[in-house]
Amino acid sequence: MLRLPSFRLEQPDTLPQALALLDQAGPEAAVLAGGTDLLPNMKHELRRPSVVIALSRVKGLTGIAEAADGAIEIGAMTPLAEVAQSALVARALPALAQAAALVAGPQLRQRGTLGGNVLLDTRCQYVNQSHFWRSALGFCLKKDGTVCHVVAGGSRCVAAASADTVPALMTLGAVLEVARHDRTRQLPIDAFFVADGIVNRRLEPTELLTRVRVPRPAAGHRGAYGKLRERGSIDFPLLGVAARLDLSEAGVVEHADLVLTSLAAAPRRVAGAADALRGSAPGHAPAEFETAVRRVAELARRQCRPLPNLPGDHEWRGEMVPVYARRTLLAAAAGQGPVHHV
Amino acid sequence: MGARDRHGIDPPWGEFRHVGQGSTKIDGLAKATGAALYADDLSLPLMLHAKTLRSPHPHARLRAIDSGAALALPGVHAVITGRDLPVRYGILPWSQDETALAVDKVRFVGDPVAAVAAVDEDTANEALKRIRVDYELLHPFLDPRESLARGDPPIHEDRKEGNVSKKVELAFGDVDSAFAGAAVVIEGDYDFHGTTHAAIEPHCVLARYGPDGVLTLWSSTQITHYVHRALSRVLGLPPHRIRVIQPCLGGAFGGKSDPFSLEFCASLLAIRTARPVKMLYTREEVFYAHRGRHPMQMRYRTAAGPDGRLAAVDARILIDGGAYSSYGLVTTYYSGQLLTGPYHFPAYRFESTRVFTNKPPCGPKRGHGSVQPRFAFEVQLDRLAERLGLDPFELRRRNLLGADATTVNGQRVTSNGFARCLERVEEASGWRQRRGRLPRGRGLGMAGSMYISGTNYPIYPNPMPQSGIQLKLDRSGLVTVFSGGNDIGQGTNTIVRCLVAEELGLQLEQVRVVAADTDLCPVDLGAYSSRGTFMIGNAVLDACRKLRGTLVSAVAESWGVDPRRVRFVDGAVVDLEDPGRSLPTADAFQLAEARFDTLGATGSYNTPSLGGDYRGGTIGASPAYSFTAHVVEVTVDEETGRITCERAWIAHDCGRALNPVLVAGQMEGSAYMGLAEALVEEHEVNRFGLHRGPSLLDYRLPTSVDTPELHSLIVESLDPEGPYGAKEAGEGPLHPAIPALSNAVFDAVGIRLQHLPFTPGKVLKALRAAAAERRPAVAAVSGT
Amino acid sequence: MLVRGLRRKIGVILQLQVNGDVHEVDVPDHWTLLEVLRYRLGLTGSKQGCDKGDCGACTVLLDGQPAISCLVLAREAEGRSVLTIEGLAPRHVAAGGCGVDPVQAAFDASGALQCGFCQSGMILSAWALLARNPRPRPEEVRAALAGNLCRCTGYTQIFDAVARLATAGAATAPETSPEAVRD
Ligand SMILES: Cc1cc2nc3c(=O)[nH]c(=O)nc-3n(C[C@H](O)[C@H](O)[C@H](O)COP(=O)(O)OP(=O)(O)OC[C@H]3O[C@@H](n4cnc5c(N)ncnc54)[C@H](O)[C@@H]3O)c2cc1C
Ligand code: SF4
Ligand code: FES
Ligand code: FES
Repeated sequence: MLRLPSFRLEQPDTLPQALALLDQAGPEAAVLAGGTDLLPNMKHELRRPSVVIALSRVKGLTGIAEAADGAIEIGAMTPLAEVAQSALVARALPALAQAAALVAGPQLRQRGTLGGNVLLDTRCQYVNQSHFWRSALGFCLKKDGTVCHVVAGGSRCVAAASADTVPALMTLGAVLEVARHDRTRQLPIDAFFVADGIVNRRLEPTELLTRVRVPRPAAGHRGAYGKLRERGSIDFPLLGVAARLDLSEAGVVEHADLVLTSLAAAPRRVAGAADALRGSAPGHAPAEFETAVRRVAELARRQCRPLPNLPGDHEWRGEMVPVYARRTLLAAAAGQGPVHHV
Repeated sequence: MGARDRHGIDPPWGEFRHVGQGSTKIDGLAKATGAALYADDLSLPLMLHAKTLRSPHPHARLRAIDSGAALALPGVHAVITGRDLPVRYGILPWSQDETALAVDKVRFVGDPVAAVAAVDEDTANEALKRIRVDYELLHPFLDPRESLARGDPPIHEDRKEGNVSKKVELAFGDVDSAFAGAAVVIEGDYDFHGTTHAAIEPHCVLARYGPDGVLTLWSSTQITHYVHRALSRVLGLPPHRIRVIQPCLGGAFGGKSDPFSLEFCASLLAIRTARPVKMLYTREEVFYAHRGRHPMQMRYRTAAGPDGRLAAVDARILIDGGAYSSYGLVTTYYSGQLLTGPYHFPAYRFESTRVFTNKPPCGPKRGHGSVQPRFAFEVQLDRLAERLGLDPFELRRRNLLGADATTVNGQRVTSNGFARCLERVEEASGWRQRRGRLPRGRGLGMAGSMYISGTNYPIYPNPMPQSGIQLKLDRSGLVTVFSGGNDIGQGTNTIVRCLVAEELGLQLEQVRVVAADTDLCPVDLGAYSSRGTFMIGNAVLDACRKLRGTLVSAVAESWGVDPRRVRFVDGAVVDLEDPGRSLPTADAFQLAEARFDTLGATGSYNTPSLGGDYRGGTIGASPAYSFTAHVVEVTVDEETGRITCERAWIAHDCGRALNPVLVAGQMEGSAYMGLAEALVEEHEVNRFGLHRGPSLLDYRLPTSVDTPELHSLIVESLDPEGPYGAKEAGEGPLHPAIPALSNAVFDAVGIRLQHLPFTPGKVLKALRAAAAERRPAVAAVSGT
Repeated sequence: MLVRGLRRKIGVILQLQVNGDVHEVDVPDHWTLLEVLRYRLGLTGSKQGCDKGDCGACTVLLDGQPAISCLVLAREAEGRSVLTIEGLAPRHVAAGGCGVDPVQAAFDASGALQCGFCQSGMILSAWALLARNPRPRPEEVRAALAGNLCRCTGYTQIFDAVARLATAGAATAPETSPEAVRD
């Protein structure tokens, strides 16, 4: 078997207990949600925590609810399958529902959580390998080494942000509720990711993600998610694209957003996308809207250069940037999606 | 000799009761309920767990190994290295170039270096980390062209031919004049990449060395007999002190048909520690054990007359063998020898060269050695049809080899249902109405093939039968069959049961099969080359027919009737002329046992003399050939380059379909596997000499949502020598999938895909190149 | 706040409810559910093909939902009901049925079991699907099985097996069936 390194497991029942345990253990600890990312990484000895703190018993971390102000709040421990199947999410936040439904395969979506997805470790073809494999290659910056095999001479890890739900949450302006034993803070997801593949999240080792809060979407909100991958199931994204279009009552784009992932260490918002799309009216002037969409796709192509960090043909991934950008925007406008090959 | 008797194609008792019925599998419910035991499901008291230390370098000399610190770890019971197992082995007697653990060199990343037995896996893993190995690095060969060009440093030092593993050059007929006089010559370069079996069960063994000095090895092997021989040779134990048992097997596809390092290591560790030892490969280690499809770089020239009749074929093939020989000699022959049907051509030449590289060793994967050339050749034919303006079916019909023919390389072909296969897929796919009329981006492609039902080449030369069967008849009415055959999921034991029940007129539940245990069963050579149904089936019929007379005469005597009136059917014996008279089988067995003796029989099969009269002429000579035709329907997204295979129609001539459900399962599984390797699977070593992704995440097996609709159309051309006319279905149906896919893409978007795998990036490049080719013409016109 | 007493003492017994029985096992914290099922409880019907979530061979039902047991810590399964392939037939018999569970019977009858190694996981995924949706459409069947790799069958006979179970309705007719032609 591919054995897990040994550790002590803690299964606190309450959030304060969990936070206290985390505070005591500090960086020695790992937080276990569904474990579908953490455990494979531990089996590969990418992490060797001495304490694992499981959140499965902690009350109050699951569920999807609409707050009084119309915001949608999702507990960090809510399984992705529940996010994907929620009628509320499907109606109000279609891009998120679509993204959640395309993570991994059916069993892993039952177990994998939204919080775990947001906090998914970055991925790279040279690092998501066994300890033996990595030792044969020579360890890299992300774990135990000093070089990068993706960018020769590189001093920065460019392992790819690979979580499907993150671009969707970014287009939705989600806010992350993060708790420490002594405080709770609200972090806009936009400010959460940094371009460092070693750790791309601004989360302190003693903090827990407790909730994801998505502000009430505009009445005319449309969203979609596009996912490029080789197989129709199981595979991580080779490219993930989330689109948002907020239409006025008259059907005119008032706000728009386009965020891509699986490029480098942080997801990327396409600069200028909102400006290019604002004012166009997909329903009334489709040709003009499509022109705007093409302009945005071109912006995406120029701004997003996938690196050879993931397995396969990164040049093709680059070519797919404008295609998936365009298709996802069109799907959002049409109230459709996801953009996925099966 | 009885073993070579023809048993005929007819039902033994007037009509078939089981054959053709599609009964459920002998072990179906055991598998469905979790009761079936696979190698890793076994455990024994005091069992230790063993792990392998592997080379992190693609090519290096071993200077020293220090395992002191590992041995000192509490819980570690033994550490062994190459010095402990220095005897070489290899599946073929002519190329024994492997050792269980590296003796003085390592030849690829993952080559086994040392093995540890400990109380549990965690301790064994910890011990591995404490073994110190001193390596002297050598230049790694990752490109087969480099291996061909230069033999220094040699990967195998005792080879005279540098880094060439095997070279075969054969010519039949006057190739050069055929080309000189040809109306059309099609030339092309083709690449086939590396792919692997990826059976879901990882390799696993359990070894026990008893106080009686008998070594028992339960192994997830598909070749019990060869493992038995290899163990004896490497361990220096006489074979009668070794017992090899194949438990239920979780898939193989050729990936478990070599002796593997773990079989020797666990055995020696069990001997050394006097405790049972289990060794289970991780998925990553399975990728290092490999033996998958050889990458081939192929150049084909095909000559034809103006009517499309083939005049000659000329091929040059460079085969990347990886680090060891494995079946490479056979692969090299097969790459040329198996191409000579289902079409006739009067002149043929091939030159195939297999070279060593510092990569996991290649070997036989479903359709051994012939899937790659078939791909190239059937695309060549599609191009020829295009050039001549012929329908691809029509081109093939003009070149049919036909039944009872001899191929250009001297192979005897008997039954042949290929023409019917063509008709079936043409009709089922709506080819005539749809091909060329689908909107751009959608297309249909077709291809055909021929494959062996075993060969007369028994791996190690010997005059004994290739397959043996033993029957024991019990007073209870139960027949126990002892079969050396390896049921690897394809259903060999189910077929054995069916044939015994048919021959002796029993109900299926009256037959039990004990298989693949060298202590209990006679020798069968193993599950490879699609030999099972044909050879084991014939051995079963042979054994049963030796008993039928005895049984019938005992009953006839007791009834005082002419033996011709006695019929065994469905578990009873009846008198054909007196419907009132019958006996349960058990009573008949008792009568016979009382009248004659304890009841049992043996049966066997050996091939007739076959093959061309030249060196290598027997390699690939089969007693019967199967035939296949595919039509594949694709959609090509011209913006993403993604090819989606929507549907595939598979017509396969398996001779008599003894169990059509099993046959369909083999056809579907084969087509799925071929399409998968064409589109998504890649077993590649990266520029650092490491497998690029030795996991089932990065080596992508299509899931249920990726798999096309598969339509199996069984064609039965009853073979005079097969058991009731049966041939093979396990490997043949894979072959046409890949060229048919390529040909369908041409129909859909007008590009020729000749370099596997057909990744979307390559498709886009090809589409752009095709557009660019069209553009200059336009520019030239507008420029004037 | 200091939390005491949460740390398990070595030797704390784990209670696992598997196939309706409560088992007490003593395993280190880093053992997975799959390891405990196979190597401590002798329930070897759940298979291991990759041990890291890629293949689905280790699928069991946790509170009725398919779960990848090689990525579930054994202790995390405490307090939940685990159903493995071994539990299906006894459950069916206990409910008054005879023989094996109809899903198992359908897989057998359709020829879906080749090497069988993927099938305990596959059957459990199909079983869970049929439990929540007795008449799934072909696309729903494909989607529900998309986390269980099968290398032998090309999935067709697996789809046939599920279609056999999905009672009545044109939408659930088998996608293909072998046709024999004799010449
Ligand atoms: C075969 C396979 C395929 C996959 N495919 C995809 C895919 O297509 N797309 C995709 O996005 N993912 C994929 N995944 C990864 C994973 O399944 C999902 O990302 C899942 O959502 C992770 O959630 P989890 O609850 O299992 O996370 P865990 O593994 O439990 O945690 C992930 C990380 O977040 C930390 N963490 C989790 N929750 C918290 C919290 N509340 N507070 C603080 N830290 C926390 C953990 O310590 C860990 O570092 C795949 C995994 C596998 C094995
Ligand atoms: S991007 Fe470079 S440093 Fe980061 S994981 Fe990959 S190889 Fe290592
Ligand atoms: S063994 Fe658990 S998913 Fe492969
Ligand atoms: S039946 Fe063998 S893997 Fe599915």
